[in-house]
Amino acid sequence: MTLVLAILLTVGAVAAIFHPLLTGKAAPMGAMDDEVTDVQHRKRMALLSLRDVEYDFHAGKLDETDYRALKAQVSAEALAALDDEARELATSAGRAGRSGARASAAQADVEAEIAALRASIRHGAICMQCGHPNPRASRFCGECGSAVTPASASGSPASGGPPA
Amino acid sequence: MTELGEYALWIALPICIWGGVLSFLGGRWQRGDLVLSGERSLYAVLLLTAIASLGIIAAFVGNRYEYWYVYNYSSRDLPTYFKVTGLWAGQRGSLLFWALNLSFFSVLAVWFNRRRNREFMPYVTGTLLSIIAFFLVITLFITPPFEQLPFAPMDGRGLNPQLQNYWMTIHPPTLYLGFTAFTVPFAFAVSALLTGRLDARWIQLTRRWILTSWFFLSLGIIFGMRWAYEELGWGGYWFWDPVENASLLPWLVATAFLHSIMIQESRGMLKVWNMSLVVLTFLMTIFATFLTRSGLIESVHSFAQDLVIAYTFLGFMFVVGAGCAWLIVKRLPEMRSERTFDSFFSRESAFLMNNLVLLGSAFAVMWGTLFPLFTEGLTGSKVSVGPPFFNQVNIPIGLVLLALMGVGPVIAWRKASARNLKKNFTGPLLVGILSGVVLWFMGTRHTQALLTFTIGIFVLAVIVVEFWKGTRARARIENENPFTAFVHLVRKNRRRWGGYVVHVGVVIMFMGFAGAAYDQEVRQSIEPGETISIDSPFGHTYDLRYEGLSTAADPGHSVQWIATMSVEKDGVFVGSLNTERRLYLAQGQPVTEVGIRSTLMEDLYVILATLDDQVGMGTDPRFHRATFQVLVNPLVPWIWYGGLILALGTLIGLWPGGSVPGARRPGQLAGQAGGSGGSGSSPPPPTPPRSTPPPSGSDGPRREPPVPAGASS
Repeated sequence: MTLVLAILLTVGAVAAIFHPLLTGKAAPMGAMDDEVTDVQHRKRMALLSLRDVEYDFHAGKLDETDYRALKAQVSAEALAALDDEARELATSAGRAGRSGARASAAQADVEAEIAALRASIRHGAICMQCGHPNPRASRFCGECGSAVTPASASGSPASGGPPA
Repeated sequence: MTELGEYALWIALPICIWGGVLSFLGGRWQRGDLVLSGERSLYAVLLLTAIASLGIIAAFVGNRYEYWYVYNYSSRDLPTYFKVTGLWAGQRGSLLFWALNLSFFSVLAVWFNRRRNREFMPYVTGTLLSIIAFFLVITLFITPPFEQLPFAPMDGRGLNPQLQNYWMTIHPPTLYLGFTAFTVPFAFAVSALLTGRLDARWIQLTRRWILTSWFFLSLGIIFGMRWAYEELGWGGYWFWDPVENASLLPWLVATAFLHSIMIQESRGMLKVWNMSLVVLTFLMTIFATFLTRSGLIESVHSFAQDLVIAYTFLGFMFVVGAGCAWLIVKRLPEMRSERTFDSFFSRESAFLMNNLVLLGSAFAVMWGTLFPLFTEGLTGSKVSVGPPFFNQVNIPIGLVLLALMGVGPVIAWRKASARNLKKNFTGPLLVGILSGVVLWFMGTRHTQALLTFTIGIFVLAVIVVEFWKGTRARARIENENPFTAFVHLVRKNRRRWGGYVVHVGVVIMFMGFAGAAYDQEVRQSIEPGETISIDSPFGHTYDLRYEGLSTAADPGHSVQWIATMSVEKDGVFVGSLNTERRLYLAQGQPVTEVGIRSTLMEDLYVILATLDDQVGMGTDPRFHRATFQVLVNPLVPWIWYGGLILALGTLIGLWPGGSVPGARRPGQLAGQAGGSGGSGSSPPPPTPPRSTPPPSGSDGPRREPPVPAGASS
């Protein structure tokens, strides 16, 4: 009985292991469409940093002078990351050789988003909830719907200053 | 079943090697069929190691004493649940149990990533299978659990009496889960090195694995402390035993790693450091096994000295260490920091300091643990360093670490100004110092204990202020009542607030450790009717009256002598407790079962040290004279409560949802504060009603921003 079970166990295991080799069934290998590239990751980090500066200012951990200096520095990094992403998108679109109205529209969407991000980074309307950079004077975040606080919406801490 | 288990173990090894080779080749050649074959090999290995483990358990439960392992670790009189634990009671089963745990976690990692993060997975699978193969080789060729004796004894030699304790069913498996779970982050790190995906992606994918491992490691260590406290009968919970130290080493390095990954995630810094830490933590988990299994250093845990195992483990650690070092050096140009430290007064610096302190502690513990080996190599005789060395080195380090727990949460990323440091620290510092002064006037004069309480209260004040600021802001913005605001605050960013809860647990545990400075002890020989008195450091006195001695027997297994004491606190009867000496007949070894009366602030701990007459059970009290060791251990219960809080905090951080980076819905961009490891008491997010109109200016054409797909970690 034990021998029969052992043989069945071996045959079953070997069959399962060799099946992909015999039938050509394959595990997925490449990155999925929704996975980030290195450049996109850098952009994400830059936006995270922007949000952190906002958080620290609102939490009273940064004074206004440091806040302004740091925000300028981080904004520059975020803008550089956005430029890299735009270049990467342009390159990938060119490499794919896609043409036609649909591809152009998608590309235009992306460029519009990048332009909107650039504008919002310059004006500093970063959402405290999700980190999304919103257009200037936004009252609510376009990404998650949260209220954008006045200081970040106006891009100036002078309107409120950090809470106690 | 046992024969089938032995067979399963033999076929597991070739399948494991096959799968490992195919996974690496599949990754190298980008062949999905090879990779799938490798992954299926892993599933098969889990099934086979599970069958092998069940085979061992069946041999124990079925009293199959023809097997060397069962003969040496079981006996007919052993209760069934201890027979089940035989799988990890001895060396031979433990290594198989390790392979089983590792296979289980490996399968989980591969299954969760079967449709995502595929560029990592061939090398992850290959690495995991290679490590499992190492343990299977040892199990099959060096410590075979299915080895048979030339004859079939009627009974076994029995289980070590000190292992016949319910903690035996809990402590070793928990620790093993912690050790083996950490192999998954290590495998992802190796994969990142091999594929060149060296950004924070592999960290995001493995964050939950790191926390899971840390959770089990922490619990395993705490359970071990509790076991030692209850079973070893010397009044303490930590003896700086080499194997205790060996479990502490990966915990210290993993704790450093848990903090430093936040810097890489949010600032793109310390990539080489993090890679080195994950390798080091993995090596420490192997080192812990090496130290326990090789028997090179005497320990209450160690098995007989086995140089073959020692050299095999050393060889494995050398190969892994050298291989990873080579990969890291090769990838150095690609792991340059994306930023530099802006200021010494920043959260990054606090985290780096925390890392250095934790690694300093790990180094000191390792040095002290290996000291006997060094001295034997140099002088020919082993010289051990005892608890005084470890305490002298680690208490100051622990105090610095404690202080850093208070600094980290309130200091800003990048740069903190003197004015803001003053603003954030003044309140908690005042609370801490004031508490210290009050404690000093109340009689707490032990310097290290006083410092622990003062700094601990400062840290608790910092955390309370953080929670209070966050709750207040959320309640104001969301118009919520404080309780709802608090719950939502934690739910929205479980990682950060869970981390704070862990810190609370650690502080309470540290205070529990500091209580040892005021331990009281009395040792006295008395007859029934006589009393032992002992003063508590909290000002009251316990009187323990020896009521008498009784016996109980578990025929063929053990005999117990049970002393009953009635306890009065300042003259008021508060209860009675029993303390025992138990003689296990198979081994002829007496074991102490301590009596513990635990309150919130202290333990009354009674050991039946010696019995003057174990045979003469007449009614004359002179026959029942016994020596008792009575201790009052202040604040020891806080260690267990702190451990519970620590576990709760880790679970909060582990719980799915919240703002875990990479686990948010597609379309969310940067995530919430947790994405950067928390940044203090940020105002919580307001969420407008669903009917809120779209924000002005954001209704143009949009594309969902990319998100990491690492929801699987």
